[in-house]
Formats: sequence, structure tokens, C-alpha cells
Amino acid sequence: MPAVMSTPRSMELEITGKCNLRCRYCSHFDSPGDVGIDLPAEEWLKFFEELNRCAVIRVCFSGGEPFCREDLRELIEGAVRNRMRYRILTNGTLISEEIAEFLASTKRCESIQVSIDGSSEEINDSFRGRGTFKKAMRGIEFLKSYGLPVTVRVTIHKKNLEDLENIAKLLLDDLQLPSFSTNSASYMGLCRTNPEEIQLTAKEQTRAMETLLILDKKYKDRIMAMAGPLAEAKIWSEMEESRCMNLPSKNYGGHLTGCGCVRRELAVRSDGIIVPCTILSHIELGRINRDDLRTIWRHHPALRSLRDRTNISLQDYEFCKGCAYIEYCTGSCPAMAYNLIGQVNHPSPDSCLRRFLEEGGRLPEIPS
Amino acid sequence: MMHECSLPTINPQVVCREEFDGWAILFDPDSGKAFGINPVAVRIWKNLDGKTKKEDILQELKSSFSEVPENIESDFVDFVRDLVEKGFAGYEV
Repeated sequence: MPAVMSTPRSMELEITGKCNLRCRYCSHFDSPGDVGIDLPAEEWLKFFEELNRCAVIRVCFSGGEPFCREDLRELIEGAVRNRMRYRILTNGTLISEEIAEFLASTKRCESIQVSIDGSSEEINDSFRGRGTFKKAMRGIEFLKSYGLPVTVRVTIHKKNLEDLENIAKLLLDDLQLPSFSTNSASYMGLCRTNPEEIQLTAKEQTRAMETLLILDKKYKDRIMAMAGPLAEAKIWSEMEESRCMNLPSKNYGGHLTGCGCVRRELAVRSDGIIVPCTILSHIELGRINRDDLRTIWRHHPALRSLRDRTNISLQDYEFCKGCAYIEYCTGSCPAMAYNLIGQVNHPSPDSCLRRFLEEGGRLPEIPS
Repeated sequence: MMHECSLPTINPQVVCREEFDGWAILFDPDSGKAFGINPVAVRIWKNLDGKTKKEDILQELKSSFSEVPENIESDFVDFVRDLVEKGFAGYEV
């Protein structure tokens, strides 16, 4: 298993719990990270000094919507002063020309990820709210005009499933973005109140996989995915090929190895509580400016337990009994497992190939 | 060309991240560029403080590490020159 770094290399900071939108599948609201408290800038600035001492090289500002904070500039300047680069996850609707000019002036911005889920107002705004498409597109234009590294995250759901080709054309041909990334609406946050209206069925997921694989070939290396249909199409196809050819397991398959995040990064909720990840916000490790970050990183039992998941065999789970893919499976994301069945140390049912096939899903052929 | 009498000092904006087994990465937040250095180079980096002399650094390396190569002095000079060329260290003017 990979070693653990002496300090986290990067930190995701939920600098606010506020947002000007209420997207129907938002993972933040109605989650353990939705704590309703925003720390004052002074607290974050003091914490950045500790991050500097710990040689953390990157922070990711998220929320909520980071641009809801009127003092965001002050926070960015604090990160820059403390020798860090930064990323921002945003809905893009509050980005003005003035903001873009400021971000460009810092020369430390690594990426700004804007959420766009459709190629038109009708599709994008169906779950994100009226007027959001135009505002986000305007924000992207401002960012581009100042040469900032803009990327887009497309969350795939029932209403944009047939729009993926148009989305790729809009982002990669028309806007000429270098790339965009995809995932799919997951059973977290607000999505849990109406999953049947939002989340893909196994058959719809198959359709998304087929479309994305074709687009992936057309736009070589410009569509990214760490999760969702495109990632699963590739991972599951490899698992199926390995099973058919009776290949040996690799990457310590057959164990809960699906998450490497806790070996390189941590997160902080908007109330200053340090957590392993923004989607494992119920696991409280300490508080900024009260508890020593280096000590938490090296010695906190909950963090060590998460890292030790990799020693847990999938053979131990009733859920995996008799599965033909067990030697090639990593159990995927612990946060998804927690959201679905209330256990972190369990394979995620959401990423289970056997379940996907039993529910009528089909692995598409990867275009040659 | 390395100055004859003095050593450069580290660029204070560059982050030295010690990660595993004494190895580290030097990270320039302005450019985003990083490169990995071994434990001997980490020790050199920490001594480029504008006060410690080359001879003292070399002596410390020889006493701290086993199997220090014969040509440690030329490796030292190459490494320091590389740091200066990358902007990771510089001479005070």
C-alpha cells in the first residue's frame, strides 16, 4: 500500500455553507457538512499560517458557493501569502469581470471548476434553477478572457442524459475549453429526497456509458472522470476482461482499496471542523486553530482506521459473497457506502458491477 | 557559474515538502513547478541559509550519511547550480 505523506499535500476548505442556488442534487445541503456556521476570515487566515508551516502546497476553496463570501479576496490573498496555490469549485453565477481580473492577478490559480449540466437553459436550469445557465456561461467567458484555467464539471442525471453530445460540443468545440469532467448525481445531500427523479437507472447508466465512450474517443483525453458512468465504463470493462481471461488481481484488488484521498489530503467544514473529506463530514477529527494539524494527520485513530480499510478483504462481506468480480474490485468510495448503508467500512453498492448487471445494466463495448 | 566564495540562499517562496523516507519535493508556488530531491539534497537545501559555508555543509554530509560518493563536492556544485538556474535559490545583491 502507498505510504502516508508527512503532512497533507492539499486541503479542501468549505469556506462557506451559503449558496445562492439550491440545485436539486446538491451534495452539500442536508448533509453532515451543512452546519450553518461560517468562520470569520481571521480564523481562516490564522489556519493558513499553519498550512504554510506544514508545507501544504494547495487549497481548494469550496462550499456552499465560495463567491458568496464577500471577503473571498482576503482569503485568497492569505493563501498566496502562505506559499500556496489554489483551486475553486463554483457554480459560476457570481463571477464578474472584476473577480476574474483579481483571480488572474494572483498568478496562483490552478483551476476554477464551474458546474454546467446542459447545453441549453432549458436543460441546465431544470435542476439548477432559472437563469443559472446564462450566468454561469457569462462567468466562464470572464474567466477565459483573463486567461484563467477554467474547467467544467458536468453532473449527469435523467434530464441531461440525451444532451451529452451537445454539452461536449458546447464546451470543447464552441467554448474551446481544454477539457471537462463528468460524474453522476449521487445519493447524497438533497438528492436523497427525490432520487428517482434525478439518478440514472442501470439502463440509463448504460446509455450514458455508451455515449461517453464514443465522445471520449472523439475528443481524445479531453473528457475526464474519476466517478460516474465514464469512469465506471472503463473500470468495469477492465474488471470484466480480467475475469474472462482469469488474470491475476492487481492494485490489491479484492480489498477496500477504492479511496486514496486520506493518504494525501484532508478537508475542513465551514465551521472549522477538520474532516477526512467533504463527503465524510460526519467524521470529526478536530478543529482548526485548536488542534494541531500534523498530529491529526499522523495519529488520529479515525484517519488511521480509514487508511487501514485497505486491509479489509471483500470476502468478509455477505454483500460480496459469490461475486465473480471480487478479485478485481476495490469497493469504491467509502462516503458513498456510508450514504447508502450507513457504513464507511463496506463496499459501495452504488459502484457494484454485479448489482449493475442484475438491475439490467450492460457493459458497452469500448470503441477501438 | 557558481560564485567562488559564497553560496546562494534559498528562495523563501519555495516550499520544501518532506514526504517519505527523508525525500522531499521543492515546489515553486508561482510557477507550479516541483522536483523531487533525495535526503542528501534535502540536507543541503536546509543549509543554504546564507551563513553556512560549503566546507561545513560537505563535512556534515560526510558525517551524517553513509556511502557518500567520492565526487560529492562536484554533485554539490551541480545541485546548487541547478537550484539557481531554476530560481529556487539566488545570490543576494
